[in-house]
Amino acid sequence: MKHDVMITKWMVKIMNDLPTLCPSCRSRLSVKRLTCEKCRTEVEGAYALPPLARLSCGDQAFVVSFVKASGSLKEMARLLGFSYPTVRNRLDGLIERLAEAEEGDEKR
Amino acid sequence: MTTLAPEKRLATRGPTVVSLLFRPFDYIAGTQSLLIGIVSILTAGFLGSLSRTHFDGVLDMHTGLAARRALFLAAGIINWLSLSVVLFLMGKLVSRTAFRAVDLFGTQALARWPTVIAALAALAPPFQRLVARLNVQLSSAVPAGGFSVATGDLVFGGLVGLAAALCLVWMVWLMYHSYTVCCNIRGGKALGTFIAGLIIAEVISKVVLSRFLSA
Repeated sequence: MKHDVMITKWMVKIMNDLPTLCPSCRSRLSVKRLTCEKCRTEVEGAYALPPLARLSCGDQAFVVSFVKASGSLKEMARLLGFSYPTVRNRLDGLIERLAEAEEGDEKR
Repeated sequence: MTTLAPEKRLATRGPTVVSLLFRPFDYIAGTQSLLIGIVSILTAGFLGSLSRTHFDGVLDMHTGLAARRALFLAAGIINWLSLSVVLFLMGKLVSRTAFRAVDLFGTQALARWPTVIAALAALAPPFQRLVARLNVQLSSAVPAGGFSVATGDLVFGGLVGLAAALCLVWMVWLMYHSYTVCCNIRGGKALGTFIAGLIIAEVISKVVLSRFLSA
């Protein structure tokens, strides 16, 4: 239990969602500057965020786990301690959000 | 910077007692729920045969019927299959995503487990005394002095009736939860199709059981 609480607190600390929409006008944000963590070199430009990066941290963690589980929902359900349909529903929700993101890209 | 494995980021602290009681199908489905569910249905049927309590419809529970044990056992299975088949067809009709039959049939079977508690409660001696006395008095001409039952038995009978009603409400909630989780349907669409499915299944189960009884 203590370990679980620690994980939850730590998650809150490191799992800030990447802001993807402008807080002022709700338009999509893009990456302007990238920095090398070693030598501090900076690269500036206009880089659009890929659809996966626009997902919430929870969704991104789900995608990574899904790939690591070789795309097996049964294995995902076992790992996460949820039932198969619950995990399946989460994947369906994610597919919907990705489709919406792609639709938004096409409209732009 | 240290990073957590993605599955650890996603994992919860595990189900609470409340979520296991009211949202069990977030955690259990498929073959596991099917096996536990069928055992629950048969256990409720067996206990029902001892207390003469039968589940004569998807949402029905009545006491006082003298019948073969097979009927008590078959009633639960017929009720379960009636609703599962109807909800499966409803789900295929309205769900936008694919779902497995074993999840819906399994969780619908497990959703009937509160009937075990209801059948067990009906086994209590004061309730049995009350039912036996009422059966005797109702089967004969009304005595001049009116019906007479012990007050204690009457109060206990009322409590058993209340417990059974609560178990049935809980069972319906579990059936609804099973339908929404397994078929991935939410909101008004889920509620509307579930109520329609429940009514259709109730009629089907009543018809099948009445034929079974008359056979």
